[in-house]
Amino acid sequence: MNYILHLLIMIGIYLILAYSLNLVLGFGGLLSLCHAAFYGIGAYTYTLISMHFHLPFVLCIAASVLITGFIAFLVGIPGLKFRGDPFVLVTLGFQVIIFSILYNWVSLTKGPYGISGIPRPEIFGLKINSLFSYLGLVWISFIIIGIFFYFIYNSPFGLALKALREDERAAESLGKSAYHYFLYAFAISGAIAAIPGALYATYVTYIDPTSFTVDESIFQIAILLVGGSGNFLGPALGTVFMVLLPEALRFLGIPDTIAPNVRQMIYGLILIVLMYFRPQGIVGEFKVR
Amino acid sequence: MTLLIQLLVNGLITGVIYSLLAVSFGTVYRSTRVFHIALGAIYTASAYGIYVGKNAGLAIGVFTGLGVAIVLSLLIEWCIYRPFLKRGSSLGVVLIASLGAYILIENLIALLFGNEVKIIHTGIEPSISVGAFILTRIQIIQFFIGILFLIGSVVAFKKSRFLKAAWAMGDEPLLLEVLGLPVFRLRETIFCFSAILCATASMLVAFDVGIDPHVGLSAILLGAVAVLVGGMDNILGWIFAAFLLAELQSLAIWQFSARWNDAISFALLIFVLLFRPTGLFTKEARIEER
Repeated sequence: MNYILHLLIMIGIYLILAYSLNLVLGFGGLLSLCHAAFYGIGAYTYTLISMHFHLPFVLCIAASVLITGFIAFLVGIPGLKFRGDPFVLVTLGFQVIIFSILYNWVSLTKGPYGISGIPRPEIFGLKINSLFSYLGLVWISFIIIGIFFYFIYNSPFGLALKALREDERAAESLGKSAYHYFLYAFAISGAIAAIPGALYATYVTYIDPTSFTVDESIFQIAILLVGGSGNFLGPALGTVFMVLLPEALRFLGIPDTIAPNVRQMIYGLILIVLMYFRPQGIVGEFKVR
Repeated sequence: MTLLIQLLVNGLITGVIYSLLAVSFGTVYRSTRVFHIALGAIYTASAYGIYVGKNAGLAIGVFTGLGVAIVLSLLIEWCIYRPFLKRGSSLGVVLIASLGAYILIENLIALLFGNEVKIIHTGIEPSISVGAFILTRIQIIQFFIGILFLIGSVVAFKKSRFLKAAWAMGDEPLLLEVLGLPVFRLRETIFCFSAILCATASMLVAFDVGIDPHVGLSAILLGAVAVLVGGMDNILGWIFAAFLLAELQSLAIWQFSARWNDAISFALLIFVLLFRPTGLFTKEARIEER
């Protein structure tokens, strides 16, 4: 039972990540490889603020969202000058740089040792420490954020992003500045990624930089590529599939020593096959260009 | 001061390796426009080739490494890139598929050989002290073999009509078919060429520090960074950028520590692309060429 609850919590966390990345990747059409960095910054800012200042949970989350959003905005200023391969490489670069900072700024982040003993959240006097209450917290957060993104996706802003994705020049001729729209989308998406970061940190009560590597960014992109992006259904499908696949392998009786490698091989194979037959993912709208 | 000189000399030798990687990545990227992430898998596989083959002697090990790289490179071209090309897939799709191929092969190698570091050459390397700095034997071998291959590839691209045609393929892929040039054979040649350079770099590094299944991606990304920093159209620019990267990393080791190496190379990339999006060493293109 605890196992199923744990899976549901992880699905909830990854759903928020997938929906926030969807704004940039699915709607903006930008293959950003630094989402895990924002996820990590969110986790670290939340942890540091809550452990040093002992503020209420909601305030800590709000602060980490603001800080992460601001950093995403700063990253976007140079990053969004690029498109195509250079954009992929530049966002990958920011991912590597932010990871290096988390890893090497030992006096702040304790570097490779990680931070342990992160306190469980307390909301309006309600202490969240059982798996059940945690599940409630994660899914309520997801529902709120899901509604937020539902409106963003269908707002003039979301539609403008779609137009820019399809034809940047044509959309700009209608007065939609690609740079500004993409920059706002990038900042919003980064800011929201802080929330699952904070949820993850308080759930596991221990964070270290290796949870926020390039591989994690690739995994999050793979969620959207498999499920599909640019609409509301794709990220959900991708998340459920990608989070549950390793568990399905476990039931097939693959020994634990080789399971991680086999899982990665299946991810690799899925990416190749999917790109050949359905570059827009299972139910997605956006085809990678 | 001696430390600085030693680090600069080390940087020069690392620069040779980076240049090989840059030329290896760049030739494929320039002539087929494929962002060849799977090259990282070829890098790893060839090092494991020499690891397996060297039990029967060093020469056989080297040939195994080269052979594995070439076969794998051609397999990736035949089984992955070519179907995508025939289907008219976009380059972003091919990039993701290439990433998929890298992940697949990387983990296959880990499955076969385990995740830990494998040492190819044991024992203490004999070293020579030249004035203020010390070189190990393997560093000298790395330097001379690397330089030889670099000169060879630059000359090949300047002289060979076939490779010039491959280079032109990057500008106008459709025009080549119209001209009756064998597009697929050109692509195969390019993939073999890049595999040989990549395997050379990989084996030279593996001989020095050993190999584990997960080094391929960062090695290839260094090559990719050098290509974009140097400018797409200039093979000498890639090589220069690779040396620049290596020396910058050496300076970083001198001032801070080696842990910032990756961050520094990407910071250089972002910085250069911001101010010169076409790279450091490109000539101004005519408007109609852009």
